[in-house]
Amino acid sequence: MAEWEPRIIVIACHWCTYQGADLAGSLRYSYPPSIHIVRVPCSGRVEPEFITEAIKSGADGVFVGGCHFGDCHYRSGNYNTIKRFNLLKRALVDLGLEDERVKLEWISGSEGKKFAEEMTVFDAKIRELGPNPIKGGANV
Amino acid sequence: MSKPKLAYYLAGGCGGCDIAVVDLSETLVDVALAVDIVFWAPTVADAKYKDLEAMPDGSIDVGLITGNVRNSEHDHIVKVMRKKCKVLIAYGICATSGGIKSLVNLYTTEQLLDKAYVDTMSTDNPDKVIPQTSCIVDSKYDLTLPALFDAKPLDQVVSVDYYIGGCPPHYDHVKTAFTALLTGQLPPPGSWITSGKALCEVCGRNPVLTGKPKKFTTTIKRTFEGTPTEGACLLEEGYLCLGPITQGDCGVKCPNANMPCRGCGGPIPGVKDFGTRAISAIASMLEKEELVDEIPDPVHLFYRYTLAGSALGKKLNR
Amino acid sequence: MQTIEINPMTRLEGHGKIKIFLDDKGNVDNAFMQVVEFMGYEKFLKGMPIEEVPRTVCTICGV
Repeated sequence: MAEWEPRIIVIACHWCTYQGADLAGSLRYSYPPSIHIVRVPCSGRVEPEFITEAIKSGADGVFVGGCHFGDCHYRSGNYNTIKRFNLLKRALVDLGLEDERVKLEWISGSEGKKFAEEMTVFDAKIRELGPNPIKGGANV
Repeated sequence: MSKPKLAYYLAGGCGGCDIAVVDLSETLVDVALAVDIVFWAPTVADAKYKDLEAMPDGSIDVGLITGNVRNSEHDHIVKVMRKKCKVLIAYGICATSGGIKSLVNLYTTEQLLDKAYVDTMSTDNPDKVIPQTSCIVDSKYDLTLPALFDAKPLDQVVSVDYYIGGCPPHYDHVKTAFTALLTGQLPPPGSWITSGKALCEVCGRNPVLTGKPKKFTTTIKRTFEGTPTEGACLLEEGYLCLGPITQGDCGVKCPNANMPCRGCGGPIPGVKDFGTRAISAIASMLEKEELVDEIPDPVHLFYRYTLAGSALGKKLNR
Repeated sequence: MQTIEINPMTRLEGHGKIKIFLDDKGNVDNAFMQVVEFMGYEKFLKGMPIEEVPRTVCTICGV
């Protein structure tokens, strides 16, 4: 069997985290190839269903990126995001998913370096955790 | 024209949905006269599985199945029902989404059996005997039991034509559904038989219906803490009510009795994963993010009726 | 050994079956009643807030 490579879904808000990813590219910062970015208009658009669907479909990690508080292009989107995300995370942990497999972080458009660093750290964490348990890994 | 033939099978359910049919009272007479009940087991009619297996394929017009699919016997009869019935309806929340009984997916079968047969205070079982799929008693009596597995909603086993939610469905809703069936006024196959309205849309406590603004939830209360204000929205008062995403075909019985909705009606149209959408809706209504940590036991609250039908469907790493 | 199986037992909630074993003369040798249903409420209610339990356990039997 081929060696396992993680697949990580990053759901990035158009106005901040996606611009941060853009900047990381322009500044030639490298981040792992396991990262697959999905752009959404606002982190407030991220339904908890997007995250569970990604996990169900076999994503090894899900990272949600949005604007810092006060920076939201739509004023209050990220305040909704953190409430939904934290509640979903509590439910997912109770459903046996590892705490670190889903993560929410605020990365602004000027934080290209932070984006690359966060991706590297998240990728390392997922490699440490191993494949998504839903894929038929251990103890399913 | 001969009467339409009806078959009804209770899989891993409690029989409450059968009682909901009986609750039709006078209408039940009309329904009973209009259809020919060929199979209704195990609750109402004296029918055996081998009689059902002997019927020609496609000979039954409408088949209703309640309860989730929990063991090999359910799995077998449900597949037989699919072959014999032209239209198959998942009736009640267990058949549509898994129901309360699908909370068994939080544990392995071994853990559940161990708790029930060995580990409880009141159990006297020194030899730790638990049920087996087959056993031979006195070396000559050969007995079998169905094999247990994780609970599944009906549509994970066979294709389902229509869904009816509720735990159990309200008898008025059952009446509407039966009328639709008998007159042939059915929605497109694969859809829920529902009014399509959320519970909040028909709830007298909803402030929006009287032109007032909806306020954020500022505290989290458990149902024994205080009494809700007469006519006030339970969510505004701090009682976590799942009305915003639940079908309102139930006649708003729980909120009218000061009890918050727990989502037995099933998801409103367009929602696939009820529990996750409920998390989204309830979290958005909280005033501060700190309130999230005060919600007790989110899995038993949001996935109470729909764990097996949710995206994860079971507990991982259990 | 000849057997008669009554499956399911009807006009009740919950699934059961009866297996009757006959001897060579056709008389009943032994009979077993089996309950084929298992739920597991004892375990999965663990962790649920106590005030929610009454409205949850009423689905053990709906009749």
